[in-house]
Amino acid sequence: MVLAEHGQSAPRRHRWWLVSISTQWALLLALALSATLFAAPVLAEGEQRRELVVLSWGGAYERAQQRALFEPFTEATGIAVRVEEYDGGIEELREAVTQGNAPWDLLDMTRSSARAACAEGLLEPLSTSILSPAPDGTSVGRDFLEGSLGRCWFTHSIFATVVAYRRDAFPGRRPTRIADLFDQQRFPGPRALQRTPAANMEWALLSYGVPRQELYRLLSTRRGLALALARIDDIDPLHWWVEGEEPVSMLAANQVVMASGYNGRFFTAMVEQNLPIEILWDGQIQEHEVWAIPRHAEGAEVARQFIGFATTTDRQTALANLIPYGPSRHSAILQVSTHPDHGVDMRLHIPTHPLNAERAVRLDDDWYASTYRRVGDYFRAALLEKEGSSVPPQRGGE
Amino acid sequence: MDAGGTTRGESRGVAGMLRFLGLVMLGGVIGGLAAGLAAGFVSLVLWLNDVLLISARGRMMFANAEILALATLLVPALGGLVVGQLHRAIREQRPHGPADAIAAVQTRRGRLPFRAGALSALSGLVSLGCGASVGQYGPLVHIGATVGSLGARLLRLGRSDDNVTIACGVAAVIATAFHAPLAGIVFAHEVVLRHYALRAFAPVAAAAIVGHVISTNVLSWGALFHVAETALPRPWEFGIFVIIGALGALVAGGYMHAILAVGRCSARLSLRPSLRPAVAGLGLGLVALWVPDILGMGRETLRFATISGAFGGIELAVVMLLKIAATALCLGMGFGGGVFSPALLIGTLFGALCGTLAGNLGFAEDTFIFYAVCGMVAVTAPVIGAPLSTLLIIFELTGSYVLTTAALASVTLASPIAAQLFGRSLFDIQLASRGLDLSAGRNLAVMKSARLKSLLSQDCATLSPSLSVGAAVEELGGSGHAEAHLVDAQQRYRGTVTLAQLETMRRKGQSGSSLKDCPRIPRPVLCPDTSVWTAMQHMQEVSGEALAVVDDKGTDTFLGVVHETSIARAFLNYSEELRQEEHGVG
Repeated sequence: MVLAEHGQSAPRRHRWWLVSISTQWALLLALALSATLFAAPVLAEGEQRRELVVLSWGGAYERAQQRALFEPFTEATGIAVRVEEYDGGIEELREAVTQGNAPWDLLDMTRSSARAACAEGLLEPLSTSILSPAPDGTSVGRDFLEGSLGRCWFTHSIFATVVAYRRDAFPGRRPTRIADLFDQQRFPGPRALQRTPAANMEWALLSYGVPRQELYRLLSTRRGLALALARIDDIDPLHWWVEGEEPVSMLAANQVVMASGYNGRFFTAMVEQNLPIEILWDGQIQEHEVWAIPRHAEGAEVARQFIGFATTTDRQTALANLIPYGPSRHSAILQVSTHPDHGVDMRLHIPTHPLNAERAVRLDDDWYASTYRRVGDYFRAALLEKEGSSVPPQRGGE
Repeated sequence: MDAGGTTRGESRGVAGMLRFLGLVMLGGVIGGLAAGLAAGFVSLVLWLNDVLLISARGRMMFANAEILALATLLVPALGGLVVGQLHRAIREQRPHGPADAIAAVQTRRGRLPFRAGALSALSGLVSLGCGASVGQYGPLVHIGATVGSLGARLLRLGRSDDNVTIACGVAAVIATAFHAPLAGIVFAHEVVLRHYALRAFAPVAAAAIVGHVISTNVLSWGALFHVAETALPRPWEFGIFVIIGALGALVAGGYMHAILAVGRCSARLSLRPSLRPAVAGLGLGLVALWVPDILGMGRETLRFATISGAFGGIELAVVMLLKIAATALCLGMGFGGGVFSPALLIGTLFGALCGTLAGNLGFAEDTFIFYAVCGMVAVTAPVIGAPLSTLLIIFELTGSYVLTTAALASVTLASPIAAQLFGRSLFDIQLASRGLDLSAGRNLAVMKSARLKSLLSQDCATLSPSLSVGAAVEELGGSGHAEAHLVDAQQRYRGTVTLAQLETMRRKGQSGSSLKDCPRIPRPVLCPDTSVWTAMQHMQEVSGEALAVVDDKGTDTFLGVVHETSIARAFLNYSEELRQEEHGVG
């Protein structure tokens, strides 16, 4: 049957402009069918393995994963989950895979790292057949957010870089647009931004009224870069932060009135430390957090089984109820409710909730992958090493 | 067109209704096809731009500056080389465009050739993909029109239906490419059909809807021109918008004439026509090393031009002039492509220039985008001769009613001034230079383009000039005609004599004199390629039953006659067909 699918689509390929879509679907279908056909016996082999080794980020994030994903998985399958911590990057993975013995079965990584690793052939290819459809029957392809399903990675959560402000800083008004970050007349006071171009450049260009769909095209021109850098340069006083915890403490110490940072950290500060801060969701920069399997991982089949389990609507919802990271499925986003411990409405805190995501920017990790160094150079030259002119870009992109 | 042939009775009742519904369905199908092709075309252009290092994103993501500079020089030049070879395969040696679709519809002369259409689309694709400073909507419109014409031809429909299906294809591509179904419908009526018959409206609307559905649901590329909500202009600023419109008409005229002038100059170059685009591409690449904004469609530049402060005033003027020059160079030297996208950019730069000036005088602080958009429509509407469509495009692209009213203020003067000074649109100017004048309306255009050949008749009396008057009277009297055409042994036409004239001579006793000696009233002669319109003009000067037709090779060979009654009947038939196409309800 699978062969028949291929056989039908092949002779039509000379008219690819007419049939390319249907051919793709046929191939997908064929892949899906072959995967389901061959999945069963392999799973049986996998049952001999009683442990899954996961590489993840640690901290509060890992604790939430334990409660929402790892423990229920062990309960359902009898397979124990052991977690090792790391802080991103793919160097270790590259080393392990080239030596042929990756010590982990499953990786929790950012999409940009996963893209790079996938391109280098460090990851196992994944088939969407291991994912289950939404409870209402919506297919995987329609239920997952756009850009969530890669060749060797699947997005499980979406975190955001956002701006937070002190509620007590601007009596009688509050910032509603990302442009307000740069408007020190209406919203006076010091700001803190991360010492990297990412997010800052996007926000600066958004403040000119540029639509978010055009950001990276415009940032690809000298003019766009110059406009963005000029906007950031206008902020005075401006503090730079490096560690993720710094913006929270600067806001707490009233050293700045607005700061960029990660939405999870701000959530903890707001809910658990009761800081008088608020997140400005407008212009939030979303990044994907994905599951991936190292090449030749011993427990690859168990890892596949786990990915299927952890990405169900139910488990995604459970995780998002514990930490404010947005699920990657529409069906789960709509089911997020309150934190099981302190009853905080988590919907207001996850990046992908429709209320927050109205004007979200999706980080173009593809673009950053090939421009990071140059954009970083312009950024440093214009803002950090203030000698000489502040008009940075040499002839680079344009 | 067959002699203004028989007129089909207006079909009414159930059969007519079904036939009409069939046409609407056909409109939808053609809309789907055209929209699919348009979507593929646009995606391919974007992909080529990324791969060939033309788009800003593609250039930025490519780190090596030397190779980038080399690509800037070589890609347009090599593209030009390919385009030049493609054009050699087209009969007219040039790409077809919207003007050809308009001519086919306006003259009811007929079908758009498929081969030339496909080659023109390919030429547009290569031109745009390689970064030539041309527009993508011209090729898209022609693709839509060709698909529509092909549909009508395959189903063996009549000319009126052919015209409607051409309009369907055009509406669908505009609806797809701009996400603007209303603009698509109006554009098809305003520019291509030039009438608003109910009979055409329904199929065109069906096509536009299908195109719109495809563009919003199946494809997910964003709209062309998002605009964040803006401040309201102050009342007196509308006065400035009107003035921008008037000045924009002049910019539009300059732009159109620059294109035509380069075209004339390049025709005088001693360079082979197929190599001209390559030279233009090389020139474009050289300037683009310095000002990359002029490469391709300039989508990024268009956006920056709407941001106050992104350009300095002088910079705006320089980029605008360079863009005009680059587009004139590319189109004039033979790249395939449209005039619309460059006009959008030139207009926006012009509007931004006005906005910057106004800003320096203390106006236009938060209303900068209004100035940019006013400039945009003021230049674009005259170039394509479509004020309503342009307004609707602005409306559907921005979703802003305030912006649309500002644009309306601007287009109020722009279109009429440009029409007075330069002509209805660049398409009309091009057609006029090819001998098709649409300025006096469609009726005239049809009459001027309809040829006499099909009205030619052999039903006439011919006499040899050597015959005597007496014999001629006998012969003519028996033929039942009141006039005879003198044709010599070499079949050459020697004039026309009337029975009354011969009779008078006979009474005067000149029966014996030869026909070639008798006085003849000078009568106009016609050629098979004379237009019905010219024949009508001659008919006013002559009273007689028929005009002689000779071949146009200068040998005066007699081919037959055209009866005055058949000229009059042809005129009435053409008028009736137009009336049916434009005012029939189905």
